Amino acid sequence: MITNGAGQPCGLVTNIQKYTIHDGPGIRTEIFFKGCPMHCLWCSNPETLSPRQQLGVYPKKCLGVEKCGYCLKACPLGAETPIRFEEGQLQPVVMTGACRDCLACADACPAKALMVWGKKMTVDELMKVIVEDRSFYARTGGGVTLNGGEVMLQWEFAELLLQACRQAHIHTCVESALYCPPEHLERVLKYTDLLITDIKHMDTDVHKALTGVGNERILDNIRLAARMGMRMVVRTPVVPDRNNSEENIRAIAAFLRDEVGGAVIQYQLLPYRKMGTEKYETLGMPYPLGEDYKPPERAEWEARLLELKRIVREEYGVPAEAGSSQKLPV
Amino acid sequence: MAPTATVTLTNEENLKQHKDVYENACYVDTKPQAVEPFDKEWGVGLSGNTPEPSPFPRINSILKVTARTTNGFVAPDRAELVTEAYKAHPGESQEIKCAYGIANVLEKTPLYIYDDELIVGGLGCDKKGAPVHPEFGLNWVVDEMRDGLMDYSEQRTHDYFSYTADTQKRMEAIEDFWRNKCVEDYTNSLLTEEQLKGSHAGKGVFFADAYIFCGAGHLGLDYDRLLNMGFGGIRDEIDQALSKLDLSKPEDLEKRDFLRAAKIANAGAIRHIQRYAELLTAKAAETTDPKRKAELEQMAANCTHIATGTPRTFWEAIQLVHLANCIILIECNGHSISYGRFDQYMYPYYKHDIETGVSTREKMQELIENFYIKIWDLNKLRNHILIKTFGNGGIGGPALTVGGLLPDGRDGTNDLTFMCLDANAHVRVPNPWLAVRLHSDTPWELKVKTANVIRLGTGEPKIFNDDVTIPSMLSSGISLEEARDYQVVGCVEPDVSGKEYGWHDAGHMNMAKVLELAINNGRCFHCNAECPRWSKCGALGERLGPQTGDLRTMTSFDQVLESYDKQMKYWCDQMVSLLNAVDIAHQNVRPLPYLSTVMYGCIEKGVDVTKGGTKYNFTGPQGVGIGTAGDGLATIKQLVFEEKRVTGAELIQAAEDNWVGHEPLYALVNSDYVHHYGNDDDYADELTKFAMDTYCKHIEHRPNAHGGFFQPGCYSVTVNVAHGVKQWASIEGRTAFEPVSDCMGAVHTHCCSHDVKGPLAICRSVTKLDHARATNGTLLNWKFSPSALAGEVGRDNFIALMDEYVHRKGMHSQFSVTSQETLIAAQKDPDNYRDLLVRVAGYSAYFVELNKDLQDDIIGRTELSFD
Repeated sequence: MITNGAGQPCGLVTNIQKYTIHDGPGIRTEIFFKGCPMHCLWCSNPETLSPRQQLGVYPKKCLGVEKCGYCLKACPLGAETPIRFEEGQLQPVVMTGACRDCLACADACPAKALMVWGKKMTVDELMKVIVEDRSFYARTGGGVTLNGGEVMLQWEFAELLLQACRQAHIHTCVESALYCPPEHLERVLKYTDLLITDIKHMDTDVHKALTGVGNERILDNIRLAARMGMRMVVRTPVVPDRNNSEENIRAIAAFLRDEVGGAVIQYQLLPYRKMGTEKYETLGMPYPLGEDYKPPERAEWEARLLELKRIVREEYGVPAEAGSSQKLPV
Repeated sequence: MAPTATVTLTNEENLKQHKDVYENACYVDTKPQAVEPFDKEWGVGLSGNTPEPSPFPRINSILKVTARTTNGFVAPDRAELVTEAYKAHPGESQEIKCAYGIANVLEKTPLYIYDDELIVGGLGCDKKGAPVHPEFGLNWVVDEMRDGLMDYSEQRTHDYFSYTADTQKRMEAIEDFWRNKCVEDYTNSLLTEEQLKGSHAGKGVFFADAYIFCGAGHLGLDYDRLLNMGFGGIRDEIDQALSKLDLSKPEDLEKRDFLRAAKIANAGAIRHIQRYAELLTAKAAETTDPKRKAELEQMAANCTHIATGTPRTFWEAIQLVHLANCIILIECNGHSISYGRFDQYMYPYYKHDIETGVSTREKMQELIENFYIKIWDLNKLRNHILIKTFGNGGIGGPALTVGGLLPDGRDGTNDLTFMCLDANAHVRVPNPWLAVRLHSDTPWELKVKTANVIRLGTGEPKIFNDDVTIPSMLSSGISLEEARDYQVVGCVEPDVSGKEYGWHDAGHMNMAKVLELAINNGRCFHCNAECPRWSKCGALGERLGPQTGDLRTMTSFDQVLESYDKQMKYWCDQMVSLLNAVDIAHQNVRPLPYLSTVMYGCIEKGVDVTKGGTKYNFTGPQGVGIGTAGDGLATIKQLVFEEKRVTGAELIQAAEDNWVGHEPLYALVNSDYVHHYGNDDDYADELTKFAMDTYCKHIEHRPNAHGGFFQPGCYSVTVNVAHGVKQWASIEGRTAFEPVSDCMGAVHTHCCSHDVKGPLAICRSVTKLDHARATNGTLLNWKFSPSALAGEVGRDNFIALMDEYVHRKGMHSQFSVTSQETLIAAQKDPDNYRDLLVRVAGYSAYFVELNKDLQDDIIGRTELSFD
């Protein structure tokens, strides 16, 4: 487990989002953990992929080396600094071998042109933020959602945080792709009220091509959660020309009907949205689906989702919905 | 109650009947009956961009000829008729002269009846016409005509008024007569240089000029008195009061002139309504369509009856309410004449008509919608400076309140509550300014209805919180029953309808400017020879304010707070004294005999409403720039005194240089590195509270000139833009002339928004401030992207947010539900967005009619997105 200077357990968190309403019931505070063992082609949170702190670079926000240049003064590497300016403007920085990851440059930047993705936070620090919105959870049946990245990569810390939420009487959701050892999952689910997970493809080879890993472990973990009596929201991000075939959705529906059954309270078919491209730029990474990848017109994909929803509902009896705006039956 | 004939009631009997009204109120609990289902959805963020929004063809057809603009024309008749009356009665007292003035207008001004409409009444001119009120000031009207500032020009791109050469000539012809006879001239004779240097005429530390040109307005008449007595009953009450006078007593001698004036004005009102009856009868006679003919005949009969009698039906009651309010607007140049608790005082008529079969729910729904459009047709003349601070206010402030507690503490929601909200969604014009009162036991159905109308995105309605407003009013000495029975006036202000002459929105204090003077030893930033006051101030080594301290030499943060406190006291002294001078001018120059007849207590006391004739008398000026002042204090505390990252001298120099050459510091003070108000951060929130409390402390309970005291408010409406235009850069990251923060909201500068933690954090930060202390009202503007409120999930979570704001004792909220893209598209292509209504602050306006500064201010407000 990661620790801070004082030796306390920490999570590495990229973002705390308040008032989220789509990942679990009611008004929620969502915590995004950094690091993911998968790399889905359509990932819209590339800053959560790497399990260590990273520099995000926003050249447009830079004040220029003439007026500011605080980052260069802060960098301990002097002339060997990986921070580069061209014509006075900041260039995307890659944390090169010379870089000691001290992130002093980001601390010195007043304009947030250099910023750090990933912040170490203790349970107490996170709970302080979480309880701020307690009254809203109470009014709406909301609570906390742990998300990522892959929260299960930091399962020990997640377990501690979920325990603290339980003690504080706060509803908990875990959103995970479930590519993790089952014994870790068992530990975490003990303190989880609702699990949100997804199935991207039923064919393990295609799954591997799309996400970097096969699906066997994931499906096994879903079976395990169902056996534990875990209530689940299962999702499929429906990505045009990647996993949106009727055949694939039917296979997922059959799996849910036959092997998960009543544990699924909602099956959500989510539309693909081209999001996060700016973040890829700030990290110096290419967009994996390709810069030119374009989703079809709204009317087209909407009709497609509704048709798939109809098939899953009527032919498989699985409670499917298009999108994540429909109320959860909790 | 069964109002069938003219009855005369004492105030006590009146009050008894008034109780009866509330006992009859029905509880909807789960089954409100209105024309629309309670959970009817009209879409999210569509605003007014819909053809034929009403289910009633008649309403849609009236809407087709209804102008979607606050522009109008100057109507000269009123000014001439008042002049004629003043000239005919040169020896009479001021009260009598004023009464003859209004009576002459009501007797002779042209009347209009329009196709399809079911209600009559206007301001004595065609739709969108604005009569001239020379008693308040004529110089500016004529000057603006001469200087080309009244009609469209580069200096006046909205709220402009066309006029003919003939109109200008007619106004010039009476200009000399009014010199030194009007409120404006009288006030100016009372003012000193010290009062003026910080005012609208000086550096704009505060604005207190609105009521110099306008009347005070900002009130609602006593609806129970009007409906239960009628103008006939009021006439009889005046006669009785006159007959009881003992003229050997000097005080009765004084009352005599007031009562005579009231009698003249009352007779004028009766005559005015009779004239409508006559005109309607004539119109009916020449109408061939039998359906319309019957309607006109009914309308004539309605007017004939209510000229002196008490209304018997919903139709008669709504007609009387409209006419009685139009006459207030004809008499007085004030705005924000409000419609009280419409769903409460109209309920007995609704119930009666349904039970007896006189009318149907649909018919009454149609009447309410027609009534809303009639209010939108009205207009008021304002000068080219005032319209900048009150962009597209139009007639200004005709609030209409629904929902909330009854005087006995039960919930008062009824069918009409729902119908009034439906009517807003059906007509989608900016008037009236609808206010829904919420409290901890508001029925779920009403919350759904309110949320659905808000989600539509026209900016209506606003929500008011009984749970904090009622205690706040109690703290001003208002009785529990009356406090529970409050209405909302104009943009923001809680008010006891008919019993309060509240001088709401009397002035504005720029707290951010006060902070500037407090850290710069009384001197403005950017003090130089270009300032119009240079020769009598800076050039002599003088400074605008008192020398209370200089941040460059201060050694502790407490010294900053102390200096702010002293500086604030000085400027509040100036504003209060200026407002009291205006108050005295109104009493001496322009008493309001007609208004006095429809307010509670004036006839009984024998005192005009301007002199304190009614029960409660306040003056309510607002603190503006709360967030800007709070962030400024936090910036100083954190960066200068705690972290010592910059010196006070450097910080002031950066602002003096408008941040040029200080870019890193500019980025830093605008970043979330610095504690900022609006993020649920106690550090900044407590300092913001200090900034606000200090203002309240120096305003509250100071005596005013009409027998009451001052009440602070905390909101800006749009005056934050006007204050910003007068202020150089400020230390929390504002560049020169940018708006200061709006209402209770967080700071958003050209660089970025200072609130970054979303709606829940805003809700919590804002409710750490003491709303109850701002007895003249508070306001928080929320702006949501439509996607945040979509679907049942969006709706219910939004309701939870409203509930929490109510629970945490936030007083008042208003909502914009328009996407940033829509607003920017509308800015580029105004013609395709003529019907796009948006919340400005306190009211809604057509976005494309606003000036660019205000448009940018609205676009800049942080858009709250939930996902």
